[in-house]
Amino acid sequence: MNDRNPLFFVVLSIICILSVLAFLTEPPLDVLYGYYNILTHPGRLISDFSSIGGVGAVLLNVSIMGFLGLLVIQLAGVSLSGPTFASIMTIIGFSFFGKTPVNTAPIVFGVYVAAKLAGKSFKNYLIIALFGTAFGPITSYVANIPGLHPLVAILLGLLLGMMVGVLLPSLAIAMLRLHEGYNLYNVGFSCGFLGLFIASLFTAMGMELSIQVEWNTTFSLILTAIIPVVSLVLIIIGISIDGIKKSVTGVRAILKLSGRLPADFTDLVSPGAAMLNAGLLGLAGSIYVMSIGAVFNGPVIGALFTIIGFGTFGKHLKNVWPVVSGILAATLISGKSPTAPGPLLALLFGTTLAPIAGEFGIVPGIIAGFLHLVLVERTAVWHGGLVLYNNGFSGGLVATFIFAISEWIKANIKKR
Amino acid sequence: MQHKEIIVHLVSEITNYIMEQSPSRMVISLHNETDGLHLSAMDDIQRSDSELKKMEQDLNPKVRPELSDYYGTMAGTDAISAARLNLIGWQIKHGYVSRTTEGTKVDLWIGSDEYDSKNFSRKKNQ
Repeated sequence: MNDRNPLFFVVLSIICILSVLAFLTEPPLDVLYGYYNILTHPGRLISDFSSIGGVGAVLLNVSIMGFLGLLVIQLAGVSLSGPTFASIMTIIGFSFFGKTPVNTAPIVFGVYVAAKLAGKSFKNYLIIALFGTAFGPITSYVANIPGLHPLVAILLGLLLGMMVGVLLPSLAIAMLRLHEGYNLYNVGFSCGFLGLFIASLFTAMGMELSIQVEWNTTFSLILTAIIPVVSLVLIIIGISIDGIKKSVTGVRAILKLSGRLPADFTDLVSPGAAMLNAGLLGLAGSIYVMSIGAVFNGPVIGALFTIIGFGTFGKHLKNVWPVVSGILAATLISGKSPTAPGPLLALLFGTTLAPIAGEFGIVPGIIAGFLHLVLVERTAVWHGGLVLYNNGFSGGLVATFIFAISEWIKANIKKR
Repeated sequence: MQHKEIIVHLVSEITNYIMEQSPSRMVISLHNETDGLHLSAMDDIQRSDSELKKMEQDLNPKVRPELSDYYGTMAGTDAISAARLNLIGWQIKHGYVSRTTEGTKVDLWIGSDEYDSKNFSRKKNQ
């Protein structure tokens, strides 16, 4: 690992600190026992690993996953930049609720096989492989099917995970064209689409796929502090790389970008400004969670890590706020609590639609956010929680809807 | 993407870019060989030095294999939104932008790793 860019050292430092914290919070044996519980859990939406395995075990899972993700990027020979930083932070985030090394490895291997089948290098599909780990629960769900011999179930789970990985590149590339880059979590959209078929097949075979919510409501100082600390570190490093004046100018330049895929802020502006932007987003998200009195549990931290990650690859305060406002408005109008799992995660992950506000303006952004909340709780049922990026699936549908209409208006009405 | 598909996408994206300024003339020329191709697009729009520089920068981005075969496939698929030359840049070996007496000329070169456009053979009658 000889990558010398600042993003690499930030990610590596976060992973190392979390791994040390894992064993400082609880006795090592408790951590390992908790980790066993996490590894053997199906991990479908919403499975908060901080309550299933405990704080120490979830931090251990997160640090192992982060390290493996970083290793895959290094082995592929790719430098950390906007998209890879976004993908590694998303992996770290979702390792708080659903991803484990066991359930994600077959998917990455499947994408590797797809790359070889297409005569390409693995690095060409690296982003798809990393984000494709959203399908982790499909491996662990099948591996836990009751009535099957455990060895058979595990082999079936690994095989299905690999098959999903082989299918993902074709779908991800095709789905990208549906919304033309206005949904940042495109692999989530693709996984949701594939998950719809797989869940339907499972249901037809009489398998149980009802959504169950495992949501930690216990306050933990360590879990509460992670995101604000990581955000502040990113802000400090971002400013120290570019200097205050240049980094502020850089963030202003980022705010002018629509964020439509692929908008690598580290390349389009500078790594320092991108890190400052990511830190500001993380801090804003933390302030929102604290202000509504929600608990920093696994899924909430996962969502905030994802926001931080995409702070270098499409999201900034200017294109995020209209979408967030739309989701909050829909939450309040429908009489839901902003601290309830669905609306809270929808608000944080719904920022996947930020490019719509960035490209088409505030009103379309608010409408997109509103539609997202309406749709997102329904889409989880469609794939039976087998896909972790449910908001990416819903966001893809909303982005496709809005993109289709705006294109039609541009092509027909504005001509007159 | 297959060879033919790449050409179609590149032509579409570069056409989208040129048509944004509503030229009265546009010529697209393709010279296709087994190990590489040269695509040339000319219009009658006079562009500023800074715009030409920006075009050339976008057409010659850093090598990003992790983006080219995934996000790069969006090149030429959206004919209504603003064109993005960086999507072309990830697909090609290099691109040149030059001023002509009438307007602007964009040269795009594609080839395998061994392909060198300096050795590109062009028959005298072409």
